[in-house]
Amino acid sequence: MIQYKTIALIITTGILAVLPQFLNPYWVDVLNNIGIYAILGLSLNIIVGHTGLFNLGHASFFAVGAYTAAILNTQYEIPVLWLIPVCGLSAGLFALIVARPIIHLRGDYLCIVTIGVNEIVRIALINNVFGLTGGSNGIFGIDRPNVFGMTLRTPMEFYYLILAFGAVTIFLFRQLEYSRFGRALNYLREDETAAQGSGINTAHYKLAAFVVGAVWAGMVGNIYAAKMTIISPESFTFWESVIIFVIVILGGSGSIPGVILGAVLVVGLPELFRDLANARMLVFGAAMVGMMIFRTQGLLPQRPRKYTLPQGRRNGEGGE
Amino acid sequence: MKKSLFFALALLLACGTSHASEKIRIGLMGPMTGSWASEGAEMNQVLNLLADDLNARDGIPGKTVEIVMADDGGNPRTAALAAQRLATQGIVAVIGTYGSAVTEATQNIFDENRIIQVANGSTAIRLSEKGLPYFFRTCPRDDEQARVAVQSIEDRGVERLAILHDSSTYARGLADEARQLLAGNPDIEIVFFDALTPREQDYTAILTQMRRSSPDLVFFTGYYGEAGLLLRQKRDMNWDVPFMGGDATNNPDLVKTAGVAAASGFYFLSAPLPQDLPGEETKAFLESFSQRYGNPPNSIYAVLAGDGFRVVTEAIARTNSTDADEVSDYLRNELKGFPGLTGEISFNEKGDRVGEVYRLYRVDDEGQFILQP
Repeated sequence: MIQYKTIALIITTGILAVLPQFLNPYWVDVLNNIGIYAILGLSLNIIVGHTGLFNLGHASFFAVGAYTAAILNTQYEIPVLWLIPVCGLSAGLFALIVARPIIHLRGDYLCIVTIGVNEIVRIALINNVFGLTGGSNGIFGIDRPNVFGMTLRTPMEFYYLILAFGAVTIFLFRQLEYSRFGRALNYLREDETAAQGSGINTAHYKLAAFVVGAVWAGMVGNIYAAKMTIISPESFTFWESVIIFVIVILGGSGSIPGVILGAVLVVGLPELFRDLANARMLVFGAAMVGMMIFRTQGLLPQRPRKYTLPQGRRNGEGGE
Repeated sequence: MKKSLFFALALLLACGTSHASEKIRIGLMGPMTGSWASEGAEMNQVLNLLADDLNARDGIPGKTVEIVMADDGGNPRTAALAAQRLATQGIVAVIGTYGSAVTEATQNIFDENRIIQVANGSTAIRLSEKGLPYFFRTCPRDDEQARVAVQSIEDRGVERLAILHDSSTYARGLADEARQLLAGNPDIEIVFFDALTPREQDYTAILTQMRRSSPDLVFFTGYYGEAGLLLRQKRDMNWDVPFMGGDATNNPDLVKTAGVAAASGFYFLSAPLPQDLPGEETKAFLESFSQRYGNPPNSIYAVLAGDGFRVVTEAIARTNSTDADEVSDYLRNELKGFPGLTGEISFNEKGDRVGEVYRLYRVDDEGQFILQP
């Protein structure tokens, strides 16, 4: 079983590594967008999928990261990729401040507050808060990222950057999922009272989930800013939060492959339908409605955890 | 056997003749979805009409022009993808797009792929200050509009001016530029400078606030929807201060929203409206547009996109080349006083259109837009 998985992993990595050689820059750039949204989806997955907190304001954390990168890069000329940890920290800090007073809210109430936070961030950016965000013009002239003396320009070069970042994300989030921390989050999602009864500090874990998700969204914001070289408030609207949320729910909340599949569909399908011109968003919407009717749990939902019992017990119980 | 050979030959010949006229592909990048979708749809109509017309009269000898459309969704991220896609489709030039931030997200992609870009509605100043060799635009820049606005404000002998914008890239830029130009004029005091929130229904609060500063004229730099509401609510509160708008208020829907009575007397700046354009060619164009689509074009930006298409095809025909360097060199240095649909077109070394484009319009008592002398 493990052997199969390793082989599958090696084959997938191999395919992903050589894929851009066979595609034109447009499709590579579509893959880049899918990658960015997949990582955003994975970061939201910690909050929505694992902990069960409805967050419809994820684009605000993404925005904080992107603007941190843009401001520090254009004002102090710090190389943009060095700022990845700073962007993560600023987004995490922002999430901590925002989420601390509201974390005890349940379900839809929390959801409404996060929508509000998203709008506040967007309008603050438009109003050129502290004279730093450039108002509705946004910030332009962000440097291209530099990796080991090579400046990344083409979609293919960004592809490998995003692929590497995505691989690290998947690895770390998988570790998180199977850790004590991940189990605690799932426990919270399934039954908060029982979790509390078992000695889980609910407020602490919920807040931690929020901050971890936000830190990751902030780091993606950095890569997004570096890739676009211009960011403006239009990129961080409520609609963006909805898209990230849809990726998680549609693909299967709590499951890493599910979220990646969700990103492929939500970001990739409108591009596949480009030839339908005006009807493309219509077809896209219809496809989403169809999928939600026939698979409410998401396309690849989280599988139940499996643990092999120790050898001795197993015999005593008479097998599985 | 002989028969099949004959068919194969015939097929080959058919293929051969259909390939005899070489295809030149020209991209159109516009907002086909999103909040500016009506602009994009009309850009598409104008370009298809012009392309069919050009092909019918063999405008580029021995070659036919084909339009390749891409939707930018009015959003920088979608636009970057649309630009990447166009860049792989073998286009010589691209016409568009409308929003300035959207255009900015695509400029480098076209530049790196050596594709000529002629923007039709992106008026932000910085777009042409980067020294990109293949970037042009048929619309004027914000500073040009601000200059004409300030000129007409000064001509009216205004002493106390209120400036209102909506924080959008364009409106804010125009408002800032006008304020800067007026800073040097001691006769005009800016008594109010603020933004409203677009897409709301009730603007009486900001109108009351503005009224307290008792301006002689209000200069609103935002879009027609808000302008219409402002005019109606201003009339409802019996305030008879004159209003002036930027070119984004140029839309028949303004009169519909405000009502004829409230809209009459409203001044706005605009590139000349299609019906006020002189020239036989423009008249013929407007006629064939109405014939094909049932109504004349509503948006001047769609007509400006048409002008972008016409200068590009003119340059291709004259240089008999689709090389980006040759075409852009022709547009920059040799194309002078080209009879465009919106007046004479020449470009300066930055790729900006030269010459006065803006005119002052007034809404008359019947809700018609009348060109002011």
